[in-house]
Amino acid sequence: MRLPFTANPHERQLIPDGRFTGPMPWVMAIMLFLSLIAAAAALALAQSARQGSESLSRQATVQILETDADARVAQQREVASLLRKQPDVTAATLVPESEARALLEPWLGDIASDSGIPVPALVEVEFSNAPDAARLQSIKRDLSRIAPSVRIDGNAQWLKPWFDLIASMLWLALAIVLLLLFATGATVALAVRGALNTHKGTIEIMHMMGGTDLQVARLFQRRVALDSLFGGVLGLALAVVVILLLGERVAALEPGLLAGASVPLYGWLLLLFIPVAVTGLSMAMARWTVLSTLKKML
Amino acid sequence: MQSVAEFDNVGLRYGTGAETLTDVSFKLFPGSFYFLTGASGAGKTSLLKLLYLAHRPSRGAIRMFGEDLVAMPRSRLPGFRRRIGVVFQDFRLVQHLSAFDNIALPLRIAGISERDLVGPVNEMLDWIGLTERASARPATLSGGEQQRVAIARAVIGRPEMLVADEPTGNVDPDMALRLLKLFAALNRLGTTVVVATHDIHLLQEIEGAQMMRLDKGRLSDPTGALRHPPRPLILRN
Repeated sequence: MRLPFTANPHERQLIPDGRFTGPMPWVMAIMLFLSLIAAAAALALAQSARQGSESLSRQATVQILETDADARVAQQREVASLLRKQPDVTAATLVPESEARALLEPWLGDIASDSGIPVPALVEVEFSNAPDAARLQSIKRDLSRIAPSVRIDGNAQWLKPWFDLIASMLWLALAIVLLLLFATGATVALAVRGALNTHKGTIEIMHMMGGTDLQVARLFQRRVALDSLFGGVLGLALAVVVILLLGERVAALEPGLLAGASVPLYGWLLLLFIPVAVTGLSMAMARWTVLSTLKKML
Repeated sequence: MQSVAEFDNVGLRYGTGAETLTDVSFKLFPGSFYFLTGASGAGKTSLLKLLYLAHRPSRGAIRMFGEDLVAMPRSRLPGFRRRIGVVFQDFRLVQHLSAFDNIALPLRIAGISERDLVGPVNEMLDWIGLTERASARPATLSGGEQQRVAIARAVIGRPEMLVADEPTGNVDPDMALRLLKLFAALNRLGTTVVVATHDIHLLQEIEGAQMMRLDKGRLSDPTGALRHPPRPLILRN
């Protein structure tokens, strides 16, 4: 059985394939490679943003700025204890003083480990949902009764510019994918117009024998589909290698803002689908180009 | 009798140039045989192009197989073209296809299965004496051989009308006569034949064939064929 959009083997002879000899499959491979890298970047950023907003945004840091060391430690324990009683707090973890000093080392150097210099006592708090400013203010009021010098900083507040940047980059990556798909469509249209010109004589003969525009379109659809598929497979293979290599580099980073930037499983399925979708798009573009060009002939 | 083709005051001009055909009016009747003559540049090929639907007229009316061609939507033209066989002056064979595939082309376009077309194509190759060269491409065939392939391609679909532009220009006299006999045989089966030619000897080979003469784009009617239905055809020799 023959699918309605394909030509039979004898019809195919009318337009010699010439695959892999012209630039079309290689241009398609480059376009697909770039599209897939941009799509993978978008997916990884989306994943990173999601993980960030899910975990980091639910976290807050409580600082106790008490200068007296004993009072500071006591207040730290009481603050953690009170926080754990809050219904929306899932964890309140005391940060050891050594860790707090280590955090200051990049700015203060060795002097940070001098026990003579007071450092704030820290409590890491994790909420069941990202707390808004009003909720943080309410908690601060409660904690102030135990530790008057308390400060509370929600991660969501300082992370907001980062997430805004990620959101912008995500939209930029999606726009790049769309532009590349548009460029791919334009490439197909140009290639098909060139091929129509090359095979004008054969097409005129087909018309004079009673061939329809759809019969001609089928010949070009098949050819474009094969070129797109070849370009798609090659572009996908290269893109997968690059994405895996970059993934290894990202995984080697210290846990932080980019740590969650990896392509999720559904993303891989989406990346696999892109070459198939581009093949379909190319075929549709080829068909439209042939039919609209032949309309001008009798 | 309903005509196969009817031209009424047809004019044809290419672009903004002068008219190539002017006030051409005639009727072609089913089963008749016409020769179209005239000096080079008289408009023979242009007239044939209108007959095989490669052009629409600049003015006037054309009816083909009883339907108005001028108002006909483009999508309906393929169906009409399949009823017309064409032998082009320059053969117009598909260069990358073999002789077999060139002859099979109209049948494949019409959707005839491979099983059903192999027999008729081989028969046609045998008839034109090119069985041994079935797989040869046009570039390796002589001018005469190419012309025979072009004629075989035009007639294999048993068209209702055959239009041939100088079909015997590149073949020897014997082959020219054989080709003419093929046209006459097709004509006896009901195909209307229109042959444009310079060769006045051909005109004498088929008694009863009608003659149309073009002179500077205007049609004259020396045998009266365009005013009266044709007489029965007699092939000499």
